[in-house]
Amino acid sequence: MFREKYMHMNHQIFPDPELMDQVLKSAHDAETRKRKIFRLIPKPVAAAGLICLCISVAAPTLAATSDFAYHALYQISPGAAQFFIPVQKSDDDNGIRMEVISAYLHGNTAEIYIAMQDLTGDRIDSSTDLYDSYSINRAFDSSASCRLVEYDEATKTATFLIMIQEQGSGNMEGDKITFSVREFLSHKNYYENIEIPVDLPSFTAGGRVQTVAASGGGGMYYEKHWNESSADTLVPGQPMKEFPVDGIDLTGIGYIDGRLHVQTAVPNRLENDNHGFFYLKDAEGNDVNEAYGLYFISSGESGRVDYHESVFDIPAEEIAAYKLYGNFVTAGMRTEGNWRVTFQLEREK
Amino acid sequence: MERQPLLGDNCPDHVIRFYSNMVYRLAFARTGSKNDADDVFQEVFLRYVKKRPLFQTEEHRKAWLIRVTINCSKNFWRSWWKRKVEYLEEAPCFETREDADLHHELQQLAPKYREVIHLFYYEDLSVEEIGKILDRKKSTVRTQLTRARAMLRNILEEDCDV
Repeated sequence: MFREKYMHMNHQIFPDPELMDQVLKSAHDAETRKRKIFRLIPKPVAAAGLICLCISVAAPTLAATSDFAYHALYQISPGAAQFFIPVQKSDDDNGIRMEVISAYLHGNTAEIYIAMQDLTGDRIDSSTDLYDSYSINRAFDSSASCRLVEYDEATKTATFLIMIQEQGSGNMEGDKITFSVREFLSHKNYYENIEIPVDLPSFTAGGRVQTVAASGGGGMYYEKHWNESSADTLVPGQPMKEFPVDGIDLTGIGYIDGRLHVQTAVPNRLENDNHGFFYLKDAEGNDVNEAYGLYFISSGESGRVDYHESVFDIPAEEIAAYKLYGNFVTAGMRTEGNWRVTFQLEREK
Repeated sequence: MERQPLLGDNCPDHVIRFYSNMVYRLAFARTGSKNDADDVFQEVFLRYVKKRPLFQTEEHRKAWLIRVTINCSKNFWRSWWKRKVEYLEEAPCFETREDADLHHELQQLAPKYREVIHLFYYEDLSVEEIGKILDRKKSTVRTQLTRARAMLRNILEEDCDV
């Protein structure tokens, strides 16, 4: 009984639309900035007396010294470079070299620079993304992140910064870390704030509806419209030719229960990570975000397809005053391989 | 069993939309005010975008966001500004008097009790899961839940089967 009361009370609490817009805009700005300026966030210069920790290589094999790796590090962060200890451990596969350049520990955080260089072609570019294909195995509870910090056109080398933060109060010293990558995406295409050339009023008739097992969803009014794990969505149609994004199909626009649904499909999404989102612009140019969105998956003979449906709370009789816009990212190339480097964290005496 | 796909580490927008209510409601449960929840909400997702942590499952991402939300709420609670300044409280407009009363009565509990109540009753996490996320022993979480329930029974002065 208390649970029901507590749930009822909480369902009335959600962030204001203005707050959501603000946070989404900040996130989007940060993303855009990250892509346009490959510059390391200024590193805190360690104070005198900082206990310097180094990485020693667990396996005996050392890679040949790679000039590009050191140049990259000094270019990225000359002030912090002095605290990093060279690791010089690399792994080559499929014509691509992954090298752990160097690393250092401070507090409960390990920072590790890793470079990936295409030795045979131009598969690595400034949009190279390891997405979900990399893993960082370590023996302690921690959170980790990996992001591109530098790309050198001349050597076709992308440098990534891995940050591992230990969650507990333990010490990372002596712990082994294995960083591995099994594939990466590159040559990405960014479609930012593009207008989708569709005539929204022509979709005001009710679309064909199906009930699906939703794999997830979100948005301010998501819970009101999601019954356990099932949801009503448009029946996917043929991809619309007007949609200008290669790698994402626009498979439906229509009204269900008085709300505008816009559906996209991404075939083999686990292999390309193509994604995006829609929003509306009213006659005054104000952005209107989706009321909620949901995901569902279809697995047929032609493989897995990931669907996303954006739902807008705009009545059909008012939709003529709105235009459909969106932001999308698609990958142009996917490269597979097996790159793996293991090293051990040790304290420098 | 097929692995539940991640929402897309490379699309913070999806993650923010997906977890917006969870983060906001936990922040509100912990701080008790919309003003404070607004600040915590922004801070949590700012950290997420800056750090872009790696997760192997959605459960890990959810646990990270819960932990950071609680940490941000604590830091906010401890801040000099918070201790020195009293807001004109902006409470949400609840649909029923019962909801408003429940919110008011919950504010009489200490934040540490409100957070375990929220994670247990709203996020439907087990005592063990709460312990892991909050870095507390299971016995501590169980004790806090028991005490919170007892206090709520006294406050609500009715058999509400807490």
